[in-house]
Amino acid sequence: MQVPQDRDDDWSKLLKLVGGKRDRAAFERLFNHFAPLIKGFHHSRNSQAFSADAADELVQEVMFRVWRKAPAFDAGKASASTWIYTIMRNCRIDMLRRGSRHRDAASDIEVEDIWDESPEGQPLVFLQKSRDERDIAEGLRNLPAEQSHVLKKAYMEGKSHSEISDELGLPLGTVKSRVRLALKKLQTSLIRSGAE
Amino acid sequence: MIRHHPDQNMLLEYAAGNLPWAVSLSVSAHLQLCPQCRRHCENLNHLGGNLLDDSEPQPTADDALQRLLDRIEVAERQSAEEPRTATDTRADKRGSNDPALANLPRVIDKLVRNNWPLKWQRVSPALKMSRLKSGQDRYEVAFHRIGRGGKTAEHDHRGQEVVLVLHGRFSDADGVYGPGDFLVREPGEVHRPIATQDQECLCFSVVEAPVAVTGLLGWLVNPFLSFRPG
Ligand SMILES: [Zn+2]
Repeated sequence: MQVPQDRDDDWSKLLKLVGGKRDRAAFERLFNHFAPLIKGFHHSRNSQAFSADAADELVQEVMFRVWRKAPAFDAGKASASTWIYTIMRNCRIDMLRRGSRHRDAASDIEVEDIWDESPEGQPLVFLQKSRDERDIAEGLRNLPAEQSHVLKKAYMEGKSHSEISDELGLPLGTVKSRVRLALKKLQTSLIRSGAE
Repeated sequence: MIRHHPDQNMLLEYAAGNLPWAVSLSVSAHLQLCPQCRRHCENLNHLGGNLLDDSEPQPTADDALQRLLDRIEVAERQSAEEPRTATDTRADKRGSNDPALANLPRVIDKLVRNNWPLKWQRVSPALKMSRLKSGQDRYEVAFHRIGRGGKTAEHDHRGQEVVLVLHGRFSDADGVYGPGDFLVREPGEVHRPIATQDQECLCFSVVEAPVAVTGLLGWLVNPFLSFRPG
C-alpha cells in the first residue's frame, strides 16, 4: 500500500505536469496515489457505498477524466485532492444518473452544468488556500466521532440527511444539528487561523 | 444584496452530491449569484478533498492502470483524427427583448435554451408560469412570473418548495425578496407572494411532487398544487 510521502502540493505539481506537458509518468504516479483512495472512499470498511467492482469502474472513469481535464486544473484555486474530489463526485452523480430512467434527451443539462468543477471566482491567494485546506484537515481529525460520522455518511456513502436519520434512528433535526456543529467547528479553526 | 441563502445543511448535501437534481439546479444558480455561498462551497469541497486524502486506500484491480492507459491511448488517437466538434448549434434563438431573461445564471440560461420557446400559461391575472423540462421527475421545475404589483392567491403545498428570485422583487408576510434570494418553504407553510410595484418579478421554482393533487379546480385556484414533472 502506498503511503503518501509527498506533501499535497506535490500532487498539485504532478497534476500541472499532466495538464501542461501531458506527462504520462506524472500521471502514473497520480494514479498510484489516488486510485486506491478513490476506491477506498467508496468501498472499504468505512464505506460500502459501492461494490468493489463498481468502485473499480468509478476509479477508471474518474482517472480518465483527470487525464482529460488536467489542462484546466488551476493550483491557485484548489489542491489536487479537492479538484479530484469534485471530479469524483460529479462522476458518481453521472454514474447513478445513467442508470436512472428519468433522463430525457430533451433537456441535456449535464452534471457539470450544475456542479461546476472550475469556479470562476477570484483565485485564492495560494497561502491562504493551503491554510484553509490544512485547517480543515486538522479540524476534521479533532471532531467528535458522532459529528465526523455524519459527515462521512454524507460524503462517502452519498446519503442525504434524511437517509442518515433513517439509518441511525435519529431525528432528522439531530442529524442536521450534528452537521452544523461539525461545520461550525471546522469554520472556527479557519477563523482562528485568520484565514477569514 | 442577497439576504436569503441555502442553509448549511443544504450546501453540504449539494457539495457531497446528495441533493436532488432539481434542488441542486437552484442551489447552483444561487451560487453563480452569491460569492459568499460560493466560498462556503469551496470549503465544503476542501472537506471532500480531505476525506478523500483520509480514506482507507484499497488496492485496485491488477490491470487497472494498464486498462486506463490503453483507454487514454485510444482516446488521444481519436481526438487527433477528429475535427473539433461544432459548438452548440442552438446557440441563441431567444429574443433578447425580454429584460427578465436577459441576465440569467448560466445554468438557468441553458435550461431556457433547452426549453425554448417557453410556453407561458396564465394562472391568474397576475401570475404566469412556464414549466421546464430538466431531466428528472421528482420535482416540478418552472418559472413563475408575477406582473407589477401583482397579487397571487394564497397557497400552500404538499412538498418542499424552493424559490430563487431572478428578476424584480416580491414580498410576503415574512419579508421582501430580490434577485439571488433563495427561499425554502416547507410543506404546509402558507404564503402569498406579491410583486413590488416598480417591475414584474421572475422566480425559478422547484416544487416536490405532492402526495396528492387536488384536480382541475385545485389547479385553477392553486397552481402550486398541480404537479407536472419536468
Ligand atoms: Zn448565498
